[in-house]
Amino acid sequence: MESLQKILVWLPQLLNGTKTTIIITVLSVAVGLVLSLFLALGKMSKNPLINKPCSAYIFFFRGTPLLMQIYFIYFGLPQFNPALTIKSAFMAAMIAYTLNTAAYLAENIRAGIQSIDKGQYEAAKALGMTYGQTMKLIIIPQTIRRLIPPVGNEFIMVLKDVSLVAIIGLSDLTKVTRAISSSQATALVYIPAMIIYLIITALFTFIFNKMEKKYSVYE
Amino acid sequence: MSIIRTENLCKSFGDLEVLKNVNLTVDPGEVIVIIGPSGAGKSTFLRSLNTLETITSGKIFIDDELFCHAENGRIVDSMSPDRHKALLLEMGMVFQRFNLFPHKTVKENVMIAPINVKGISKEEAEKKALELLEKVGLSEKADVFPNRLSGGQQQRVAIARALAMEPKIMLFDEPTSALDPELVGEVLNVMKDLAKQGMTMLCVTHEMGFAREVADRVVFMADGVILEEGTPEEMFSHPKTEKAKQFLSSVL
Repeated sequence: MESLQKILVWLPQLLNGTKTTIIITVLSVAVGLVLSLFLALGKMSKNPLINKPCSAYIFFFRGTPLLMQIYFIYFGLPQFNPALTIKSAFMAAMIAYTLNTAAYLAENIRAGIQSIDKGQYEAAKALGMTYGQTMKLIIIPQTIRRLIPPVGNEFIMVLKDVSLVAIIGLSDLTKVTRAISSSQATALVYIPAMIIYLIITALFTFIFNKMEKKYSVYE
Repeated sequence: MSIIRTENLCKSFGDLEVLKNVNLTVDPGEVIVIIGPSGAGKSTFLRSLNTLETITSGKIFIDDELFCHAENGRIVDSMSPDRHKALLLEMGMVFQRFNLFPHKTVKENVMIAPINVKGISKEEAEKKALELLEKVGLSEKADVFPNRLSGGQQQRVAIARALAMEPKIMLFDEPTSALDPELVGEVLNVMKDLAKQGMTMLCVTHEMGFAREVADRVVFMADGVILEEGTPEEMFSHPKTEKAKQFLSSVL
């Protein structure tokens, strides 16, 4: 079939774009997750010097469009202070997605932590554990299982949101697809592109389900 | 020398006075059972002893050493955090809802505090844990997760977990209230053994049979004060106050 042949010709470029998409998604969610843990604990802190900046951060990154955040980090910051120039568009994208993801995940983590029964804190305290030990040994490990659905969800959303990197000139799967589509005046290329997105989503959904099963062993 | 003593212990939640000038002295090895109607402040009192609730005013002494002192809702700081921690660890607590750590096995539940709080080696903690599980009759469940145990078994693990920290005083906050009736006995048996071995115990419970058999003293609380105390014989057969008489006639 002629269509199939065309698709095979486009495949290498599409896969190249896919590589960019996956790397940005995985790294920004992974790093964003770590950052979000600190944000969540920070927001829960009784010290206003800690909880106010954390709340402000979360408010800002959830309250402005991701598109603007990407654009501003790459193009806007250097205009305020040349020292803030991020040379690599890829780096700028990584930073934007990480900071953005962290803000959304922080609220999920906070909800997860606050859903743990108070009795757990009391037992830990009665046994002499410090707040830090209680969090590290008792609370956070139990929160992990509860976090898998929201983190999985965020991951799958970021996967699609990465298509915004086109505005700073990066070639993700969507950008490549659109480029092929307009240069060859064909909408056919959207089919393999969407199939690729579906495969990635299915793969990671499978992984997250497996992780959830593994952590549910004791509950 | 008393092992635990409170002086004018008061606790209010905002405007609500829950404990009013509670004075109790416990001698080493004594088994005290605290009874009374709901809302009397029994659990709040017990939880104030190991600072799960912060007292509004009053003093708590452990081994005649001032452990906790508050005036007008503020803690009066008088001791080093290390000393405070050491005294806190002299008390172990068993909760109504067990509060086992669900993500750790039975053995790990018992080992986790000695390893992380006392710095005991894993091997030693494991050895001690298995001994304690043997004592409460649950050695074969060592590598099982709590969700696979019955309520009675979970509570016995909780007792072993508290004992692993080698406390001098064990606080029991309605330990059998959340259990099915047929499981209550196995937990009470462990508590009776503990009492026989000379552990100082303060139990808030509705198990009058247990009190009669093991308690050295029964303390009756109502409306935030200790209305009456005496030996089980005195309390159950000849209660002196009207409220105690009413309460006992409704539960016995």
